[in-house]
Amino acid sequence: MQNKLLQVKNLKKQFQVAGGMFEKKEFVNAVIDVSFEIKEGTTFSLVGESGCGKSTTGRLITRLIDPTSGSITLNGNEVGYLKQSELGDLRETVQMIFQDPYASLNPRMKVKEIIEEPLIIHTKLSKGERENLVLEMLNIVGLNTEYANRYAHEFSGGQRQRIGIARALITKPKLIIADEPVSALDVSIQSQILNLLKKLQQEYQLSYLFISHDLSVVEHISNEIGVMYLGSIVEIATKEALFVNPLHPYTKALIASVPVADPLLRRKKETLKGDIPNPKNPPTGCTFHTRCPIAQELCKLEVPKMRQITEQQSVACHFVEKIEEV
Amino acid sequence: MNENVLEVINLETIFKRDQQEIKILRGVNFSIQRGEVLGLVGESGSGKSITSLSIMKLFHGTSGEIKNGSISFHGTDLTKLDEASMRQLRGKKISMIFQEPMTSLNPVLKIGKQLTESIEMHMKLTRKQSTAHAIKTLKSVGIGRAEELMNEYPHQLSGGMRQRVMIAMAMACEPELLIADEPTTALDVTIQAQILELMKQLKEKNDTAILLITHDLGVVAEMCDRVVVMYAGQVVEEADVFELFANPKHPYTKGLINSVPKIGDRKEVLDSIPGNVPSPQNMPQGCKFAPRCSNAMEKCHEHEPEIETITESHFCSCWLYASKEVALHAK
Ligand SMILES: Nc1ncnc2c1ncn2[C@@H]1O[C@H](COP(=O)(O)OP(=O)(O)O)[C@@H](O)[C@H]1O
Ligand SMILES: Nc1ncnc2c1ncn2[C@@H]1O[C@H](COP(=O)(O)OP(=O)(O)O)[C@@H](O)[C@H]1O
Ligand code: SF4
Ligand code: SF4
Ligand SMILES: [Mg+2]
Ligand SMILES: [Mg+2]
Repeated sequence: MQNKLLQVKNLKKQFQVAGGMFEKKEFVNAVIDVSFEIKEGTTFSLVGESGCGKSTTGRLITRLIDPTSGSITLNGNEVGYLKQSELGDLRETVQMIFQDPYASLNPRMKVKEIIEEPLIIHTKLSKGERENLVLEMLNIVGLNTEYANRYAHEFSGGQRQRIGIARALITKPKLIIADEPVSALDVSIQSQILNLLKKLQQEYQLSYLFISHDLSVVEHISNEIGVMYLGSIVEIATKEALFVNPLHPYTKALIASVPVADPLLRRKKETLKGDIPNPKNPPTGCTFHTRCPIAQELCKLEVPKMRQITEQQSVACHFVEKIEEV
Repeated sequence: MNENVLEVINLETIFKRDQQEIKILRGVNFSIQRGEVLGLVGESGSGKSITSLSIMKLFHGTSGEIKNGSISFHGTDLTKLDEASMRQLRGKKISMIFQEPMTSLNPVLKIGKQLTESIEMHMKLTRKQSTAHAIKTLKSVGIGRAEELMNEYPHQLSGGMRQRVMIAMAMACEPELLIADEPTTALDVTIQAQILELMKQLKEKNDTAILLITHDLGVVAEMCDRVVVMYAGQVVEEADVFELFANPKHPYTKGLINSVPKIGDRKEVLDSIPGNVPSPQNMPQGCKFAPRCSNAMEKCHEHEPEIETITESHFCSCWLYASKEVALHAK
């Protein structure tokens, strides 16, 4: 049995966006109800359209921000409410990789300084030991060790992402939270980075929380997937179940919307109508009811509960069984 | 008879930097027929956007300049037109939409005003007629509350809505050629699907020729009739869309197609193309793709291949398909 490395339960995050002493308070419900777990050495992905709360979930788990409620347990220990001063272990165990490696790397730092920095913060290693580790990391992520003394701005997008990965891996973390790590890259380079992430996972038994809006990338890299809409997970399933037999109407629509790189499979699309609602003012009941092709009266009134349909698949929709019939 | 709306012949565009001319487009050739969607694909930095800006002659604020070649629009060579004549064409006969809608929307003008101004100017209609036409156009791009929207500012709209307004603006004067540079790259997939569907419908209705620039091969497969693959400022392959995906010839095209992860495809390791697009200041000699090409031969590093005819509608520039041999330099 694989160990559960991370468990997230009923996680919730509200941001206050207006309101002071005399003003009415206004909130964005960035994350409303998110629960999932990640087993050791596996990849769990969060997928969904922009603003659905994927990055906020990632930032909550790394404790860059504090949860409003819910729980986050890492190796069985609750970490959701630790004080910043108590986060030492978490910072070593959990590392992040970002979409835009350039924005997340300091342009005035040399490559070796960027990669070394987490060691200075989290370990008591000597300068010599740190430098050896940096050179080892450069090799591991496929960068020439001669690059150590160059600056990040001299590198292409794919190379910068390799630098970002080296920096994230140097403290030997268990969990990597990768927030749209290949979204800014050309497909030819994107595949290099995806291959590297897979290879590293096998070699170091890493777990990934992979955040992406791109379903084809998610299918390639994941073991399990959570589909998010307006702050909640609406379907959670193994990769095989999700792509072969998507159950939630939103999952179906998402998969159907992806343009397929084969003109022989061209077809007229049943496109979802309308825009994603504003998370300041989400729809009542099932938040998807304003765009759902099979919504009923009940959907406006009651929030559907997450229900397990098969061993591999759980869905939050009042009418899943109906969908299966038609 | 098929009629070419646009013919780009041997287009060379340069930028000046420190008294030096940097060649960005190194002889680009393609044409688009009425009612046809031509895809222009390639990695970032290959010159797709500069091609579109060259056609529109939108170089202000940059050192860009067309150095050679011709761009024939219904027989008129655009490279010879002055700015005043170009302004007559832009927004009327040739329109452009961008990845970022705010590039073409004015943030301080209400949507209605922006639309009617251009309609009044190009279509010679009265204020009242223009307003009616603007509302009709907004409705045609799937905006239900068009009347209301006329009184709103761009920042009040969602990304997808802005993109639709920009398309409405581009289509308002029923252009013969629409240039769409990564029109859906910044959008979510469900909104992208709406916008692509909309572009198809508008094309069917008006027989518009579309130059669709994208790095997304899924969008190409879904939308295009014919495809031009660009690399390092040149066309390396051109083919009918079905032919291109079924039978790609150029190693670069093959590399691109094989790099795309596909839903339902259980490949453990994805193909990729090693290395990066060369920078215009540092172009390799010979075939520009040679440093990244697993098929590269000695002659590839010395001589540029010429464009060869594979079939009547399939062209490729690669030594693997050359009809002529070339003498190698004695070492
Ligand atoms: N610091 C913040 N303050 C206010 N609102 C925020 C903040 N961070 C995120 N949000 C809002 O929360 C929602 C979810 O955002 P995010 O988690 O970034 O979504 P995703 O990563 O899925 O695109 C969005 O509506 C976003 O605008
Ligand atoms: N204003 C400019 N000045 C100098 N070089 C430029 C300018 N704009 C683009 N380039 C260069 O031209 C090349 C092609 O760019 P572009 O057409 O934008 O590529 P694509 O659209 O295919 O990603 C790139 O090497 C880019 O750096
Ligand atoms: S609960 Fe209702 S509105 Fe929500 S997805 Fe299911 S059918 Fe659609
Ligand atoms: S000409 Fe040579 S280097 Fe260039 S693509 Fe063809 S085989 Fe590769
Ligand atoms: Mg995000
Ligand atoms: Mg571009």
